[in-house]
Amino acid sequence: MQRKFLTLLATTAIVGVAGTAVAKDIPVGNLIDFTGNTAVVGKVYGQAKIDAMNYVNANGGVNGKLLDFETVDYSYVVPRAIATYKKWKGKVVAIQGWGTGDTEALISFVAKDKIPYFSASYSGHLVDPMGKGPKTKKAAPYNFIMGPSYSDGARALVQWAAEDWKKKGGKGKPKYIHMGDNHPYPNAPKEAAQEYAKELGFDVLNAIQYSLAPGDFKAQCLSLKESGANYAFLANTSGSNISLLKSCDTVGVDVQFMANIWGYDENVMKAAGKAADGVVWVMGAAKWGDGVPGMKTVEAVSKMSDPSGNTYRAVHYMRGVCSVFYMKEAMEWADKNGGITGPNIKKGFYKQANWTPKGLEGVCPAATWTPDDHRGFNKVFIYQGHVKGDTAAGSVGELMGNGTIGMSKVGESVIPRKPEWLGW
Amino acid sequence: MAGHDSMRCGEFRTTYRADTTIFPTPWSRNFAILGVAVAATCPLFLEPYYLNLMIQIAYLGIAALGLNILVGFTGQISLGHSAFFGFGAFASAWLNNVWGIPVFFAIPLAGLWTTAVGMIVGIPAGRIKGLYLAIATLASQFILQDFFARAEWFTGGASGALAEPFSIFGYTFDTDKSFFYVALTYLIVAYVAGANLIRSRDGRAFVAVRDHYLSAEIMGVNLTKYRILSFGVSSFYAGVGGALFGHYLGFVSVEGFDILLSIQFLGMIIIGGLGSVMGALMGTAFMVLLPEVMEGLVSLMGSTDWGSAKWFVDGVPYMKEAAIGLAIVLFLIFEPDGLAHRWRLIKAYWKLYPFSY
Repeated sequence: MQRKFLTLLATTAIVGVAGTAVAKDIPVGNLIDFTGNTAVVGKVYGQAKIDAMNYVNANGGVNGKLLDFETVDYSYVVPRAIATYKKWKGKVVAIQGWGTGDTEALISFVAKDKIPYFSASYSGHLVDPMGKGPKTKKAAPYNFIMGPSYSDGARALVQWAAEDWKKKGGKGKPKYIHMGDNHPYPNAPKEAAQEYAKELGFDVLNAIQYSLAPGDFKAQCLSLKESGANYAFLANTSGSNISLLKSCDTVGVDVQFMANIWGYDENVMKAAGKAADGVVWVMGAAKWGDGVPGMKTVEAVSKMSDPSGNTYRAVHYMRGVCSVFYMKEAMEWADKNGGITGPNIKKGFYKQANWTPKGLEGVCPAATWTPDDHRGFNKVFIYQGHVKGDTAAGSVGELMGNGTIGMSKVGESVIPRKPEWLGW
Repeated sequence: MAGHDSMRCGEFRTTYRADTTIFPTPWSRNFAILGVAVAATCPLFLEPYYLNLMIQIAYLGIAALGLNILVGFTGQISLGHSAFFGFGAFASAWLNNVWGIPVFFAIPLAGLWTTAVGMIVGIPAGRIKGLYLAIATLASQFILQDFFARAEWFTGGASGALAEPFSIFGYTFDTDKSFFYVALTYLIVAYVAGANLIRSRDGRAFVAVRDHYLSAEIMGVNLTKYRILSFGVSSFYAGVGGALFGHYLGFVSVEGFDILLSIQFLGMIIIGGLGSVMGALMGTAFMVLLPEVMEGLVSLMGSTDWGSAKWFVDGVPYMKEAAIGLAIVLFLIFEPDGLAHRWRLIKAYWKLYPFSY
């Protein structure tokens, strides 16, 4: 009896060891937020990264080598992200990150340890690899942002607002106002956009603060109403913006809201209903179901976690997929040119101009990274959300399908890579 | 705890000195020294993950001891301990980054600064007690937290501040292995100092203020002085703990120092045992290890069939949080004297085994 038990034990041990010994070659850290203040968009983007890495592994890996990724939910708490990083240091060759606070805090760490860091934070502070920009606080040689920088996005919105004001025949100086929490993420584009708004002839009002954690923002909406602003830039993420839009609808504010890239999506339209109608926001990639060649790949990626293929993926999902695919192709180059190490992956990013990963044509816009400018994406799409009826009935996918909610492209601008805007 | 609860047969103490030794027997002293020696060898064979947990226990334990001096020994209350912890971290980083003071000196200096802030915050304690004092310290928590988020010159504002690693004579303690010794040294110094403080005249005054403030005043204890002093001492410990935390992590951000951490500190000393020096360390260890043990249990269950069910996986974060709450409630009901008391009972059990008398 005892012998039988021992054999059983030994077999389990062997199976267990064999199970973990499957060739997984490229250690990658994956930082996500499923439970923190930015969870509403974090779940979409985090799932995209997980699905995409599983898809890469299921489809030949990186030249046959598999991504061995560890996913950690850090709840958007910076110290937890740093502690996770310290655990990963020396093991991983690249990190798929998330928030602005943690990514900016890690700039010097990843530079010292030579670990390429692909953040979902597109903070303008992360794009200057050499520290040449006049307003750069810190050179960020190993940071790669996977979308247009927040500052460039906000500049595009300001441009759009200036044109919109002219089109509507507005008289006098239009009033621009920044709204957001006192937190690295909403703060990132604040000054750049305010400066640019001044340049384009806006009257820039004092910023209004509302928290990243959703709450009752009627007081802020009353201040907004009193300020007489025409264009309000919402710098928080969508969870918080849902509350703000609802509160402002109750108060009755007549302002054109403009949201940052993480500040608006299909889920906001569903949750805020009519209050979310007409908001314009920044987009960095195609949307789910667009008739572009690369959408087939995205659909296959989505099936990694949803074999039925029925789940609707909000706009952030595509950017998550793009982030992983750019990393994968840079790794493939590194593999052929001296091995998959941090510095080689970094070099891999400079090998192509107007670069779209294979299979994602039309999904990710063409990007160009150079050793002294990490503003990979400089094309910004501006979309407007439309809410036509009651959003309570049906899922986001159904609502998009029957036209209750929808979105349309209202602008597109290429933000020049001005040297004075580098790192800001 | 001055004096010892239970005296063994044949043991006679003829002087106050003998009655207030830290270690009641030579063996208990030898065990303590052995314990430190064993701890010092830990980095040689433990994984960084375990070292990280022990370092956490060290810097949080130092801060928790400070709170225990305030709450457990002096009978005051503070809901703002994490703000002092944070102030120490920011102050040390600032002294080092802006003034170029070496980290070695910045840590104790940050402790002194925090003492000053703590004594200012403690001033109301001279006049108010109980719930009112709790609310006054709660106010200081929010004021300091807001200060951290706005004072760009001092804390880097919402973006936080970088903190250089601890170094002496050109040797940098920037790995878990090396920083472990820094943390261990600070822990030992802090706890020996804490244990000695309680044996001193000031320590007895603290306990007198706690046990019966009126009698204490009649006996000549200056209540206001000792209440504020207690806040100062407690803040010093918090500041040093926070500074160690900052230089260990390499980055200080306002987010870490919220009211939740203040309450966790209270949880640590309640679980460990109010008014016990070693209790503070035991409680800290408990609070740090509980979520990790829960994590381990959960991943064990995850390998079973029903453990990988969606409702279970989704519920795990809540269960972890709930477990901490549950632990505090259970301790309050079944072990109000904390782990320190339980530890004494266990020691007594083995000492007297099999015939307790």
